[in-house]
Amino acid sequence: MREGTLLMKRSVVLLALLALVVTACGSLPGLGSGLKIGMVTDIGQLEDKSFNEFSWKGVQDGARAVGGTATNIVTKDTADYKQNIQQFIDQKYDVIVTVGFLIGTDTLNAAKANPTVQFFGVDQFVADPAPANYQGLLFAENQAGYLAGIVAANITKSNKIGAVGGRSDVPPVVAYIAGYTAAAKAEKPNIQVLVNYTEDFNAPDKGEASAKTMIGQGADVIFQVAGLTGAGALRAACNAKVYGIGVDVDQYLSLPDAKACIITSAEKKLQIATAEAIKRFKDKGKQGGNFFNDAKNGGVAASEIRNLTPVPAGLQDKLNKALEDMKSGKLNPPTK
Amino acid sequence: MSGARARLGSWWRLAQLPVLAIVLALVIAAAIIIVSSAFTGTGFFPLLPLFAYGALFAGAFASDIALNNTLVAAAPLMLGGLAIGLGFKAGLFNIGVAGQFLAGAFASAVVGAALAQQPVALAVTASLLAAGAAGAALAFIPGWLKAHTGAHEVVTTIMLNNATALLLAWAVTDLVRAPVFTFPRTGEIGNSALPVLLGRNLHLGVPLALITIFAVRWLLERTTLGFEIRTVGANPNAARYAGMPPLVIVPLTMALSGLLGGLAGGIQMLGVIGFYASGISASVGFDSIAVALLGRSDPIGILFAAILFGAFRAGAPLMQITTSVPIEIIDIIQALIILFLAANLIVRRVFRLRAPGLGIEGATTVTRTWGEQVRG
Repeated sequence: MREGTLLMKRSVVLLALLALVVTACGSLPGLGSGLKIGMVTDIGQLEDKSFNEFSWKGVQDGARAVGGTATNIVTKDTADYKQNIQQFIDQKYDVIVTVGFLIGTDTLNAAKANPTVQFFGVDQFVADPAPANYQGLLFAENQAGYLAGIVAANITKSNKIGAVGGRSDVPPVVAYIAGYTAAAKAEKPNIQVLVNYTEDFNAPDKGEASAKTMIGQGADVIFQVAGLTGAGALRAACNAKVYGIGVDVDQYLSLPDAKACIITSAEKKLQIATAEAIKRFKDKGKQGGNFFNDAKNGGVAASEIRNLTPVPAGLQDKLNKALEDMKSGKLNPPTK
Repeated sequence: MSGARARLGSWWRLAQLPVLAIVLALVIAAAIIIVSSAFTGTGFFPLLPLFAYGALFAGAFASDIALNNTLVAAAPLMLGGLAIGLGFKAGLFNIGVAGQFLAGAFASAVVGAALAQQPVALAVTASLLAAGAAGAALAFIPGWLKAHTGAHEVVTTIMLNNATALLLAWAVTDLVRAPVFTFPRTGEIGNSALPVLLGRNLHLGVPLALITIFAVRWLLERTTLGFEIRTVGANPNAARYAGMPPLVIVPLTMALSGLLGGLAGGIQMLGVIGFYASGISASVGFDSIAVALLGRSDPIGILFAAILFGAFRAGAPLMQITTSVPIEIIDIIQALIILFLAANLIVRRVFRLRAPGLGIEGATTVTRTWGEQVRG
């Protein structure tokens, strides 16, 4: 008992000391002047080799380019989106970048309530009527899909390639596959493109089954546009020792399970998209509506070619040529 | 005077282990912050933990906004902690709070969206009732299985967590998807949103959770049912001998526990999130286990534990912004607290505490053995 009281006294003193230090310290001094740019991640971790990580790299690039500072808050729970955005607003940040479509509603509401702060939403479609200070950063999926299609058509030996889609009512998915199909037909008019929509983004087993069916029909390249379902499709491709093509980010890096068979990925250049967004704001002021990142601004690409030695002659040239043509507007892959 | 001191002493005897576990966790996390600072842009910085904890404290308590954030984050943890704690009292380990949380969130989102245009009182009441009912119904299943087949609730509730998450993902994609959005989610909840009572976000769920703390305390300590729950937890054979039917008490306790878990999801949905989508996370369900353990299954203990964990959640963003110490350090602190509570010998050694004499109230039944049959 006496022992306990003594300990209690000590703890109280310790707590009081701590409180003193806390009030004395407050917070670290500011790191610099210029624009204050904050990024709120999607749920998960910052180094996810996917949307969070590359958006963040772009935000840092953008901050360097405009002489500002960049900070991030990693979101741990759906319930924290609102509070994390608000935290940056309370700290008087000038630009707030949020990542992923789930955080879109909270970003929109924050933009409406804080017209002096600029908001950018990665992968968020901003519908009318939109506030003038909130811009969705979207991507030309048809162009990225087109590049994937060129690769697929040039590496297939069976002249049959496949694509496993998520839901057919999600426009970006359809655009990826439309571009992919168009490129394949342009490269090899007699090629057969097998397309299956699993109508599901979260079912690896469905993706695996769908890819297996295509491989059974002779397809030797599988392009996945189906989230987790697609991870199953790539697994099937790897197991059957045929080629896989990833989507959105360089999945050779983000999906170690499929490392062995991924040739390339139809990539959204998130790092460029967020960096450019910050520069746009610095140069031209408030940004609203939706901004489509495409070949013109380096917003889409085929990721580095992997697992392929030697890389077929002329493949890289064909990819560069297609990128050039899309840049100049000569080539417009279909979106559906 | 001496009475007050005695009361303080007995309070301290109960709380010393959790409090010291927290202190030890903070000290070790501080060491981790110092070591890891060497690998970041700022460079080795031995005072960083003071800045980090300072910002954490400021973000959780230093303004009315911060305080509101803490309470809003704590409210679902109070209900979730009570859900687990109530189960512990009856010797049941309801790991299914994560699933019951999702079920409650989903039910309140769907009912809330349907009643979005109705008067606030009706819309809010009906949505919250739906949340509680969904959680209770879901938790009744493992309760019934436990009572009638001996299926261990730890196994069945864990499996139901996954089943629930996937079932609801399907439901929101195919059954109740609101048409205007680009991704599958439920509709706007309109008038079903919990009214904000204070500041910009302190919603009705906070006082509701506080009232529930005292309601559960009253239930456990002042009612026949509470006595029966505690007796079944202490010794089901003795309970049966005394004419208390475990066959009824076990499923009933699970359902009550699920009701609280569902309500946690309900207030989080109607007070904070606003819509159900298949990607939503339910970290509350698992944090609640930590809250119940830290609070020693006692409603008042759970109140303080929930406020502590809520403070971590509310303060972490400011900590990350101002000191660049990542939010993940909170996960480490929480994990260390649980570790030290489980391996409390470490805490006793470090702080030279004697093992307490075990009174009847000191004995906490956490869960009963594998496959034990409950007979009516």
